[in-house]
Amino acid sequence: MPIYLYIDRGTFVHRLHPTVKVFALFVMFWSVYWVDNPIALAPVGLVMLWIAQLTDSWPNFYRLRWLFAILVFTTTIAWMVFYRRGAVLVNVPIFHVSRLSLVFGVGRGIKLAELLAASVLFLSTTKIEEFTYGLQRIRVPYRVGFAISLSFRLVPLFIDSAVTIVDAQRLRGYDFNEGGPIERVRRYVPVVIPVFMGALRKANNMAMALEARGFGFSHEPTTFIDYPVTPADITAFAFLIGLGALYFMLYWTGLGGIGPLK
Amino acid sequence: MKTAAHIVSATPGPHAVWVQGVTFTYHGADRPALRAVSFVQSAGEMIGVMGASGAGKSTLAKCLNRIIPEFEDGDFRGTIEIAGEPLEHLRVCDVAPKVGMVFQDFESQLFSTNVAHEVAFAMEQVGMDRAEMDRRIIPALEAVGLRGFEHRDPMSLSGGEKQRLAIASVLALRPAVIVLDEPTTDLDPEGRAEVFELIAKLRTQGLSLIVIEHESEELRAADRIMVLREGEIAVDGPPAEVFARTDLLMGCGVRPPGLGHALKLLGIDAQPENVEQACDAIVRAYPRLAATLVDNIADPRASEPPATAENASTGSAFMAIEDVSFSYAGGPRVLDSIDLRVEGGDFIAIVGQNGSGKTTLAKQIVGLLQPATGRVIIEGKNRAQMRPAETAREVAYVFQNPDHQIFAATVQEEVAFGPRNFGLADGEIRRRCDEALEAVGLLSERQSDPFLLSKGERQRLAVASVLVLRPRMLILDEPTTGLDHREQLRMMALVRDLNRAGIAIVIITHTPWLVAEYARRVVLLRKGAKIFDGGVREFFMQDELLRSSSFRAPEITELSRRFGTLALTTDEFVAWVKGRA
Repeated sequence: MPIYLYIDRGTFVHRLHPTVKVFALFVMFWSVYWVDNPIALAPVGLVMLWIAQLTDSWPNFYRLRWLFAILVFTTTIAWMVFYRRGAVLVNVPIFHVSRLSLVFGVGRGIKLAELLAASVLFLSTTKIEEFTYGLQRIRVPYRVGFAISLSFRLVPLFIDSAVTIVDAQRLRGYDFNEGGPIERVRRYVPVVIPVFMGALRKANNMAMALEARGFGFSHEPTTFIDYPVTPADITAFAFLIGLGALYFMLYWTGLGGIGPLK
Repeated sequence: MKTAAHIVSATPGPHAVWVQGVTFTYHGADRPALRAVSFVQSAGEMIGVMGASGAGKSTLAKCLNRIIPEFEDGDFRGTIEIAGEPLEHLRVCDVAPKVGMVFQDFESQLFSTNVAHEVAFAMEQVGMDRAEMDRRIIPALEAVGLRGFEHRDPMSLSGGEKQRLAIASVLALRPAVIVLDEPTTDLDPEGRAEVFELIAKLRTQGLSLIVIEHESEELRAADRIMVLREGEIAVDGPPAEVFARTDLLMGCGVRPPGLGHALKLLGIDAQPENVEQACDAIVRAYPRLAATLVDNIADPRASEPPATAENASTGSAFMAIEDVSFSYAGGPRVLDSIDLRVEGGDFIAIVGQNGSGKTTLAKQIVGLLQPATGRVIIEGKNRAQMRPAETAREVAYVFQNPDHQIFAATVQEEVAFGPRNFGLADGEIRRRCDEALEAVGLLSERQSDPFLLSKGERQRLAVASVLVLRPRMLILDEPTTGLDHREQLRMMALVRDLNRAGIAIVIITHTPWLVAEYARRVVLLRKGAKIFDGGVREFFMQDELLRSSSFRAPEITELSRRFGTLALTTDEFVAWVKGRA
């Protein structure tokens, strides 16, 4: 089973300049940040769906479908407990079920899902090397950029390791589902410690291997791949500026809010 | 065609490596890991470094590219020069263009998303221009046999290919010396063969190589063998001389080559490099055996076993796999209509190339995976109807990496974790822990921190942690990986004792001599299908099957077949020869 998200499809999105892709990620986050209303979140969501279709990133969304579902569902439910505004529609103990709490909860769920979707699209279409290069171009120091991009590569390895550790403990009769929510979290100690120790060991091995391959030799490493700026990059950049500006306007005009009580 | 010769730098002067009085003590350690080590490596020379775990092999390797003392805290003394240049005051990254280092853990040394980029990585770091990188990438990939793989994701490569890629990435910098620290430990036989073929090729191209390795047979082609013991050079000389000193090697925790050891036990003073030479030496010393020689080892006479086979199976099926097939989501079939019966007291080795389905099959047995079709029966019960905890009491599974389960503060707590999950009384837990720790030889370490144990001890702790549940069947996934010979023998002696106590054993392994010496039955998987299930002797007679599965019989078995018999161990063969002489 592939543990990385990058899908090599060679579409025009894949071929965009790394800096444009990093900027696109930023604009997606920016746009989602400014609005709360599900309807206002729809256009950026549609853009993401369009990109997903264009780049054939659906396998990654399918892999993470449960995460998306849980994110939207739990956030909606949680805000119906904590967002206590608007006229109650149905009396349910603990919950405050109103039009506003529903809209706000669903909006928050969609917001988180869109943040995740933007990241998935970025990682589906951007190689680690491009990520590093993109960060370097926006003046992030090489070491910092490399560390950030490498962490994306390591996360799936740690997840893989955690799955093995959960299996190992289950085979010693351990039940992770015993007890209430807090007890269940506590019961993950026999997983967290081996994952943490393994991560330290792997990080140490990787650091040695990196330096042994010359990492740190030069403050300005060269790049093997040439990333020329093309008209598609300029078009995409202009489109992203427009999208970012549109969302700021939605916030500024109040159209991105959830209603009069915002 | 360009070969490695084209990417090797100019001869780096008379000495590739010059090491003088190197001593290193890790921070907090009570004794040095290396003590006054001195040696010289000539340009183009290949040195094989051997020794038990903790003898100082990896420490020495790390000193050669300044990982020690730059990376590890401790007290470093001595001088090292590479191609005449002292390393003192250099950073690890400054040494990278001079000394290429290939590590055991291939997953941790690949950072890129395609093969060409991986090779370019080190060149990018040293600031090489793009045109020069372009000129070097293809020859480096050609040198390791990965031409045409430029656009492949390194993670999609096999273990052997990953290690060859790691070698290509250091070759591209054209270092004076390449150090390979146990580069084949985690590889299947095919991957090992690929890497050692490449090492032999690089050797002929004049590269200076230092290869750390546990298997002595693989280092016969080296110019020199250096054996380390407790941080000091115990012996350093040509392979023929060093391998002849079997007592010294065994005292250093090194397994001597099987052929040479056999000849020594037969009183023959020779250090053969291959089966043919060993055969000739035996015939010269025992002329009467010439009559038993078989021209063609497929000759039916070669199937005569020395009749020492041991069989402890009880005959009743404890576990049965019936027509099990399985695929991971959206993927091809990983298991294809597998049938398998395990009887109480069985000792089975499951072998096959990486990706053949060995671990997936084990996970089906213990219930970590559910079959798409077919079923698994344990003690007459359908495993699908058993809870994981219920299965765990019948069948235990020891993962390849013991660190995947260790978390407790003491050895005792770690072992007690399993029985606690089953709600056993404190007295009973204590009794079982003592019993399990005694069995694995860790009773005296019960209050120790498990993270401070050696790899071999942690592996035995992992066995104790499941043994404490008193299972009737034990599955061990690569139980000897990463252990030195002494630890391997200790681990396998433990497994044999458990088997003799009535526990059915299933080991997943790539190591021919383990199969020959310990197993009584072999199951060979290929692409998810079971293609052999039978006795060990019968298995090692299937030449075509072995070849097509990239598995091979131990050299001693191959030698015995030349004489029309089939011995699985050195002792068995020596007894057979003496009986006929």
